[in-house]
Amino acid sequence: MSRSRSRHRQSSGSNSDSSASTSPERGADDDNDSFISQPNDSVSSLDASISEEEMLDSVAREIAERNRVSPISRLPAELMIAIFARLGSPADLKTCMLVSKDWARNSVGLLWHRPQTNKWPNLQSVARAIRTQPGYFDYHRLVKRLNMSSLGAEVSDGTLYPFSDCKRIERLTLTNCTKVTDTGLIPLLEGNRSLLALDVTGLESITDKTMLAVARNSVRLQGLNITNCKKITDPSLEEVAKNCKYVKRLKFNGCHQLTDKAVMAFALNCHQILEIDLHDCRLLEDESVTALLSEGRQLRELRLAHCLRITDQAFLNLPHDTIYESLRILDLTDCGELYDASVQKIVQAAPRLRNLVLAKCRNLTDRAVIAITRLGKNLHFIHLGHCARLTDAGVVQLVKLCNRIRYIDLACCTNLTDNSIQQLATLPKLKRIGLVKCTNITDRSILALAKPKQAGQNGQMSPSSLERVHLSYCTLLTLAGIHALLNNCPRLTHLSLTGVQAFLREDLLVYCRDAPPEFNDHQRDVFCVFSGGGVDRLRKYLNSDAERTGFQDGTMFNEGTDDGAEDIVVDVNSGVVAMNIDEMEDEFGEDSEVMAVD
Amino acid sequence: MATDTQTIRLTTSDNVEMTVERAVAERSILIKNLLEDLGGEQTESIPVPNVAEPVMKKVIEWCEHHKKDPPTTQDDDSDSRKKSTDIDEWDQKFMQVDQEMLFEIILAANYLDIKALLDVGCKTVANMIKGKSPDEIRKTFNIQNDFTPEEEDQIRRENEWAEDR
Repeated sequence: MSRSRSRHRQSSGSNSDSSASTSPERGADDDNDSFISQPNDSVSSLDASISEEEMLDSVAREIAERNRVSPISRLPAELMIAIFARLGSPADLKTCMLVSKDWARNSVGLLWHRPQTNKWPNLQSVARAIRTQPGYFDYHRLVKRLNMSSLGAEVSDGTLYPFSDCKRIERLTLTNCTKVTDTGLIPLLEGNRSLLALDVTGLESITDKTMLAVARNSVRLQGLNITNCKKITDPSLEEVAKNCKYVKRLKFNGCHQLTDKAVMAFALNCHQILEIDLHDCRLLEDESVTALLSEGRQLRELRLAHCLRITDQAFLNLPHDTIYESLRILDLTDCGELYDASVQKIVQAAPRLRNLVLAKCRNLTDRAVIAITRLGKNLHFIHLGHCARLTDAGVVQLVKLCNRIRYIDLACCTNLTDNSIQQLATLPKLKRIGLVKCTNITDRSILALAKPKQAGQNGQMSPSSLERVHLSYCTLLTLAGIHALLNNCPRLTHLSLTGVQAFLREDLLVYCRDAPPEFNDHQRDVFCVFSGGGVDRLRKYLNSDAERTGFQDGTMFNEGTDDGAEDIVVDVNSGVVAMNIDEMEDEFGEDSEVMAVD
Repeated sequence: MATDTQTIRLTTSDNVEMTVERAVAERSILIKNLLEDLGGEQTESIPVPNVAEPVMKKVIEWCEHHKKDPPTTQDDDSDSRKKSTDIDEWDQKFMQVDQEMLFEIILAANYLDIKALLDVGCKTVANMIKGKSPDEIRKTFNIQNDFTPEEEDQIRRENEWAEDR
């Protein structure tokens, strides 16, 4: 088409290149122009005996010579930085800083972006360099991320002091630096307008003063984790909510003192919230939960475990016919006041839920489970542990209609029989199954789980995808079923059989991992969990044992060891804790998609 | 409209005219956008004032080989990709050139906006740096040490904390 447009595009392209470039050769023409257009510039007074042109000539010659001798010097700063960014190792970056002044200028920002403060000597060395005035560089301006969590309780207010000059920190992570108080933290926050994420998990001494400093300064804040900061109260968080309108991820776990006031303020002021964790905020009531859902149209993850006061009204009060498309994860563990009506409303209002945790919602019945089936293939993760009223009817229906389930927990659903588990065994993507204390299930269930599944339409059989299987206190189980499970689940990395009499044998327990230190003697006696390499070793041992004794793998045989096993006094929690949702936790502040399986 | 076999002409900085398959030239986002802006058949030669013929030839060779690669998305710029310095075998061989050419290719990839080629170039240089001492690096790239011993000492001191993760 038009020639002039083509010319225009070309020239603007080359201009932007030369202006972005710090490589003098490429920009030399432009620079000459600006020099020559101002003949009486201070440059001319430098040395009257040499004409500007001669000087420029000699500069240009020098650069050309340098580029000839050392071709890398042609690269502009932005490309040197792009190269250094691919080094990854701080040690290599430090080496680059020592090569030449140019190299130092282009690597220092990358090196100091996130200084290494994970070990005490490194932290002290970083602090010294920041305090050095004047340092070779203004290091304090370069620090963007500061993480002292690996030093935890060794960090004090004094440790933080040198870093109060770093006003451009974007991520400040002080997880479990329990000695830190307002005195150390406030100077770090004051005057910093760049902070995006603050993690002060477990800093029990910090008070509203720190939160008010956040409200005053951290206008760009997106992530705030005050888990277990028990001195922070509603009024200061209301200020944060009013001033930090861009927050996206909030974690207030274990803040028993907070009420609806604080949470309402966030719901009403901050419409970008993606994720809010309120585990154990026991004073929360229905109003704030309703508001979080109805105001937070972006909300993806809502965790309300042990918010004991929440009732059905929290959900039933949601506006009629409004759909919350964003909500993917809802954790209502131990919200004991919830009945089937809540679940029915939740499923209707949030049809794209992927993870639903209803453990210990003991009032739920099969009616709730039937409602959940409406989530269909969206449902990947379902926890119904301790919902003891559930029966095979509900579970069978759930599995039929939600066949993408990867994780299911039905601990202590004592009504369930082999019928449920045989249906569960048909799930093609099942990775983790929790059946702790489902005391009715027998080897028939386990053999069903072990059976290879048909994958796709071509009828190909693929081995089980099971990775973690929790069968503690399933007291009817015998070696035969588990042996078959081991031989048919190549990805198995966790198998818990605590309290299952058939496995409490010296020759098997050697492959079991150590009981947690806090366990008492009785708990130790029945503890039986195989994980990682232990699973492999158990499999090998059983196979060689079977060869010796002539048993075929996977065939049923009765060890007859289940007598009296049901009478064992159990601490179910010990088994259940292991399958808690800890693996769901995203790294705080990262925009991660940990739960987005596939 | 544009078919795969359609060709365009480019004029390099040293005034050499080259005929290139359009689909190959369009690995360069600069050229692709330009052609889109112009619309229709492009009969005139497109000037590429920042790239000389020998370099352009190499760049075209690379674009030929990677003609069918899926277009890079913006998400590709994630940290994990940046830090990995794995280079596929063909690209490694392709990059076995003298330093003069290596850095001209990088400059051309940057100017022509060919992200994947720029990436390969930067990784190649990063691999030449990894694990070396400052002195070895200076030798490798023929760089003058313009620090005084005092300055060098100061930088060493102020950055002593940096070690391998």
